Amino acid sequence: MRCVASRLHQLGELQNRVLIFLEGLCVTTVPLIRAGFAELLPKPELVHIRDVIYQAAGIFHPDNKLRLLLDGCGRRMSELRIASLQEYCDCLTVKSNRQEELVALLNEITIGETSFFRNQQQLDAFKSIVLPRIIQAKSPLPIRQLRIWSAGCSTGEEPYTLRMLLLEEAGPQLGGWNTEILATDLNQRSLAHAHEGIYGSHSTRNLAAIYRSKYFTPLGDKLQVNAQARSNVNFGRLNLSDDSRMTFMKNMDAIFCCNVLIYFDLASKRRVIQHFFNTLLPHGYLFLGRSESLYGVNDEFRLVHLPGATAYVRGDRPLTGGKLR
Amino acid sequence: MTTTTITRTSTEKTLLQRLDGLQQIPTIPAVLAPLLRYLQQPVEQIDVRKVTDLLSQDESLAAQCLRMANSPLFGRGKDVQSLRAAVVSLGFHHVSDIAMSCGMLKILPGENCTLDPVVFWEHSLGCALICRHLATQIDFGDPGKAYLAGLLHDLGIIVNLWILPKEFEEAWDVAKAEGIPLHEAEQRCLGFTHCESGRLLAEHWHLAPEMIDVVNCHHSPEKSKDSSGLAALVQLSDLLCRMSELNYGYVERRQVNLLEEAGFAQLAQYSKNLGHFDWARLTFELESYMEEVHSLVRAIYRT
Repeated sequence: MRCVASRLHQLGELQNRVLIFLEGLCVTTVPLIRAGFAELLPKPELVHIRDVIYQAAGIFHPDNKLRLLLDGCGRRMSELRIASLQEYCDCLTVKSNRQEELVALLNEITIGETSFFRNQQQLDAFKSIVLPRIIQAKSPLPIRQLRIWSAGCSTGEEPYTLRMLLLEEAGPQLGGWNTEILATDLNQRSLAHAHEGIYGSHSTRNLAAIYRSKYFTPLGDKLQVNAQARSNVNFGRLNLSDDSRMTFMKNMDAIFCCNVLIYFDLASKRRVIQHFFNTLLPHGYLFLGRSESLYGVNDEFRLVHLPGATAYVRGDRPLTGGKLR
Repeated sequence: MTTTTITRTSTEKTLLQRLDGLQQIPTIPAVLAPLLRYLQQPVEQIDVRKVTDLLSQDESLAAQCLRMANSPLFGRGKDVQSLRAAVVSLGFHHVSDIAMSCGMLKILPGENCTLDPVVFWEHSLGCALICRHLATQIDFGDPGKAYLAGLLHDLGIIVNLWILPKEFEEAWDVAKAEGIPLHEAEQRCLGFTHCESGRLLAEHWHLAPEMIDVVNCHHSPEKSKDSSGLAALVQLSDLLCRMSELNYGYVERRQVNLLEEAGFAQLAQYSKNLGHFDWARLTFELESYMEEVHSLVRAIYRT
């Protein structure tokens, strides 16, 4: 070590150079990295649209996902026969029908993206961190019941995924527990599809072989969910904006509401989230879609970081200290 | 003197002895000193030939510069064949950045290293970027200093890899198997953490007191004697990286509520905006950095 110090000393200003260099990194290298991507840097209009979407719908497009946003804008621009992104940006921010256009763009960027095991990191975090904590919190209680709500379940991939995950991965942990997955959606056709439980290759592309063979029956070139995966999964039609019906939802341990809130305006979203808050048990968790946030929507939930995923917990639960795992 | 103090002193003594006896920790390549000094001049006084001459003295450095010049990160698609063309293409300032990056990155032991150097520097660079971004977002002092603190915070891991490779490997295996923070596993297996060994190296290198404090207290900012809050900023940024794909190469099986961390309360004293800060957005933005960080570090190491 002395040799390190002496070499540094012999090199005169090198120590300072190191610091100058390191300090310089932040003003030179990083912009330089970006400069290397000059032609890939997002246009300011696109960044503005990203902010509009985040503010209005709570969904954020990181730089590496901006292509999806740009594609969605492109489709809307073709539809509207608009040539420039700037003009389209005005449609979303200035023009009188901007709210309708926002919904149209949201439809473009979120359509048809549902599949089994869609967000593996979220599911891993649920299985390895959240579930044991819920079980621990409920272990002193006489009734061993786990209730999970898939709010906005669309065609059923999410609730069936959760069911299979519980059956396959959490079996030993949940021995003797009564588990229920409540799956709701507004759309009747989606619910009918979910009931039928028949899925094509797109929906099932992330299915591991073990799930494919154990919980599905081949049906032509498709797969049908079998009785085991359907057990304790209950579908129902529910409008999340229907306050009177939402108050009947009680005692949930976890709520998954992925890519649904983006369609609500801020006031409706606040009401829905408040219902979720009231519905969750004190130790409960709320999961949103990847890159979805409750910032500016609700102050009662607390963001927590799990490995590769985020979730929300009730902020009124007792503080656990930073050391808790 | 308490037992803790005695233990601490004896740990320090052992560490210092090991550090002093160690001959093989590489320093930054010697060629860099004159090169950087030369590049400090006003641009109009710099001669491309002199720069290429200096670079040519270190073959591996020259090769790195050529590789970087041809990388999409820096080269903008141009086919650069000569060192001269590389210098012209990159610009003098960028040459010095790349040269120093290569020098710093090579400080880690190379072969049979417990910790993949690429993963380590991806974490450090990611942490540096998040520190800088967070500092800007919450109006916390100098973003440049925050960047530097993020980049250097884990210096102690380098020390541990050099002076106690076997013991560090054991700690690493424990951390990975149990999904616990590395510093907790180090404490259990080594009796000290990379914070302490890093402080010794930082002191040897005569880094600024604020940086020594960050290296020493980035896992326990409440113990920071420095009043700048920089250690707290690094603690939160480091946690965000470790909970993302910019971790040390293994998953920490835990739940983190940043608002309950010691660093949050400490940092809140320096930034009025912190209470309303959008942590979710910062987490999503971190995703944007990942690809750039992966590309940069891999380009330097393995192009």
